[in-house]
Amino acid sequence: MSLVSVVQSIQDSGVAEWMRTSVKAMPIVESIHVLAAATVFGTIFIVDLRLLGFPNLRRPFTRVSDELLKLTWGAFFTALVTGALMFAANANTYYGNTAFRFKMLALVFAGLNMAMFQLVTFRTVGNWNTDVRPPSAARLAGVLSILVWVTVIFFARWIGFTKGYQFEAPPTDVNFSF
Amino acid sequence: MALGQGLEDSSISQAIKDVDWLIPLLQSIHIVTIGVVFVSSLMIALRVMGTMRVDEPFVTVWRRFAPWMWYGLCVMVVTGVLLVLGEPVREFTALSFWLKMSLLAVAVLATFVFGRTFGPGGTAHGGADRAAYAGGGAGVAEFSAGAKLAAAAIMLVWLAIIFLGRAIAYDVEVWGGLSLHT
Repeated sequence: MSLVSVVQSIQDSGVAEWMRTSVKAMPIVESIHVLAAATVFGTIFIVDLRLLGFPNLRRPFTRVSDELLKLTWGAFFTALVTGALMFAANANTYYGNTAFRFKMLALVFAGLNMAMFQLVTFRTVGNWNTDVRPPSAARLAGVLSILVWVTVIFFARWIGFTKGYQFEAPPTDVNFSF
Repeated sequence: MALGQGLEDSSISQAIKDVDWLIPLLQSIHIVTIGVVFVSSLMIALRVMGTMRVDEPFVTVWRRFAPWMWYGLCVMVVTGVLLVLGEPVREFTALSFWLKMSLLAVAVLATFVFGRTFGPGGTAHGGADRAAYAGGGAGVAEFSAGAKLAAAAIMLVWLAIIFLGRAIAYDVEVWGGLSLHT
């Protein structure tokens, strides 16, 4: 089965049909997606800044990152689910959309940056957890993380403005219930 | 909505509309800044509830996050005003827009009062908090139930503001007959 036919079957699925026909589903799902994405960025931003030594190096890095971990992953999972619902509703359009493809690429890069940090750089955290400036690899990971996540959000917002693609909007002359 | 139409025809509005990438760029900056402001406010609220950063005095947490909140809000006001100038009729005819502006005033005022009461200059909690840390930081002065409730309420208002922001694009779908579009 080719990727295109997989995308087509997602678009033809029941949940996609529900997303397209329910008047209120799209605004609610999009709002939750924005909120979740904002939380992912905001919490990661705090950890990235700590890698760069802001506001100071006194509070242990692991304490800063550990307490935010659940919030970040919870928000990321929420963004993933709501994002999947939005994708399903207009799967063919998203699949062919350049901004969407760049966004997915940026997400992959964010994941690689995180994996690199976690598997390699983080091993020596005992040496720089408190009162010591993190090594350049850790600071670089922090800078890249900020840049990549901002890029993800920019491409995401750009999808809605892409010219030449018709996103299917729910009809407005139906009754306003689920 | 004569004001909206007047603004729509103004040269500044035309200038914003003429640049294809300006509105998406402004919206992107607006959303990135939501992340900073919302999470900064959330960190302060969670510290008040005693679920995060309890190893630090409240004033330290306030000093860490409040500037990001206020400066972030300034960025959001600038990008927000430009977005309204770019599409005034779309904004002014959305019920969500007016509800959002009203709740924004509530959130800013409530946060300001909260900071004045419990922040570095405040006496309501700071004194007990500082005393606890002066004693070796072993005990964390617990916030009153009222303060916790206020912090939670402020977070709920921010949540509503974010939802209403996205809902501007869907005024009829969200509000039905109440939408100002109809």
